[in-house]
Amino acid sequence: MSTTTSPPPIRFTGSKYLVQRLVVSTLTGRPIRISQIRSNSTTSPGLLPHEISFLRLLDTITNGSLIEFSMTGTTLLYRPGLLTGSAQGYGADTSGVLKHELPRECTRGVSYYLLPLCLLAPFSKAALNVLFTGAGVITSSTPSTGDISVDTVRTAILPLYRSFGIENNIELRILRRSNPGPGNRGGGGEVQLLFGHQVRLPKTVHLLNPGRVKSIKGVAYATGVSAANNARMIEAARGVLNPFVANTYIFSDVSSAPLVPDGSKTAQPGAKRKIGVGFGISLVAESSTGALWSADVASPPEGGVPPEDVGRGAAYQLLETISKGGYVSAVAAPTVLTLMAMGSEDVGRVKMGRDVLGTKEVVSLARDLRAFGASGWGLRDADEDEQGDVVVSVVGRGVGNVGRKIA
Amino acid sequence: ARARHGRKVPRRTVDLARLMYNEAMTPSEVIRKWKGLDDDVEEDTQDEDEDFFKKPKRTADEDDQEDRSIPRYDLQELEQRWTDEDNLEALRRRFASANLLREKEDGDEEE
Repeated sequence: MSTTTSPPPIRFTGSKYLVQRLVVSTLTGRPIRISQIRSNSTTSPGLLPHEISFLRLLDTITNGSLIEFSMTGTTLLYRPGLLTGSAQGYGADTSGVLKHELPRECTRGVSYYLLPLCLLAPFSKAALNVLFTGAGVITSSTPSTGDISVDTVRTAILPLYRSFGIENNIELRILRRSNPGPGNRGGGGEVQLLFGHQVRLPKTVHLLNPGRVKSIKGVAYATGVSAANNARMIEAARGVLNPFVANTYIFSDVSSAPLVPDGSKTAQPGAKRKIGVGFGISLVAESSTGALWSADVASPPEGGVPPEDVGRGAAYQLLETISKGGYVSAVAAPTVLTLMAMGSEDVGRVKMGRDVLGTKEVVSLARDLRAFGASGWGLRDADEDEQGDVVVSVVGRGVGNVGRKIA
Repeated sequence: ARARHGRKVPRRTVDLARLMYNEAMTPSEVIRKWKGLDDDVEEDTQDEDEDFFKKPKRTADEDDQEDRSIPRYDLQELEQRWTDEDNLEALRRRFASANLLREKEDGDEEE
């Protein structure tokens, strides 16, 4: 596919924001070259298993992508192809489900894959239907790597797409739950993402009124441990939140620990073992205007944290997130801002809390988007004397669906 | 209010708009400077020193290299902040249950 007419790659350095850059590259069709990926790390230079797995996933949902590593894995060249979705004959089975197996060494939660996948899906040619399976799928939030849980993706991120006019046929099924396994590695869960609403351009949005929190919903999950943990987490979280919102519903989900093939050398052939034992809670606050704030806490795999602390921690984290203000939380900001930048050539506006905007993630997203040819963001103070929120104006690129053939 | 202190007001939107696309600084430097935590960025010699010493420091906190969607929270600090009455009262305005007319009525519900 790499014809001589393709533009020269945009250069980046460092291992941070790798996924974000790959996503924008795929959406805009600009090739990128990333160098110095953990080049000064003595223990694990180059790409890590979860990043390679993401590249594989990217390869399966596109047609004609070119991915080249250097010998050490510290340099990566990526020429995006067309986003085909899970089309038959490109890795998907006859029912159109693309199976993606995560490696056992994976330390990231599955939301690490889901969030970028959801960003790509609206622009693909066909519906996207990916089943995440294997010994590396962690559906809970991960305390060590800071990924959100699958429940938060479903209840706090996917509804955001509605304001962009992307709402039909989107489903995230949690088939088997899992917490991080020993040493934060692996899980053994199973998650299926169906994203069936493809658009030409996402709508221009004006998300200016955060409204007031009217309800809090949540999911407490326990995998392979007693259901009493759920009750204790819910009790503690409600203790903090009830004075604010009486309208608090926290569901309880109990499941047994997933069994995965035992990979150790001493094990009998075909032996299985349980991993991914633990518990956690995901809380989402919804405002009267549809703004969402979320919090996620899970027990660390080494244990030693009582469920009360997890529940209360999540509740405090939720209050903290709400207090930062704006229409989008820090978790949702990359999704919203990227979709806005990919919208039609019109000014979209979103109100963000000062502390959400002023994070290095958002600043680097702004820079990356500009490197890909989007125009700079306009910032101004929100008029009302609320609490110093900032209105961010983003001009869309009007590129549209890359799945449709350009030129 | 803006004209009051000329330049030493941290966290101003205008400043962030200017710093955001300043490619000479890394995003974390931008944030530090914007929040006013970094006073000696201006001086050139200091800057050079800092660059020199930054390398080993940056590799030391290895996990800062990874992308996190949830920032690290200090549970103790959060708990302190959100059991404080004033903070809770201030946050109450963001909830639909808040009664904007009469204030400080059900303030002692926490705890």
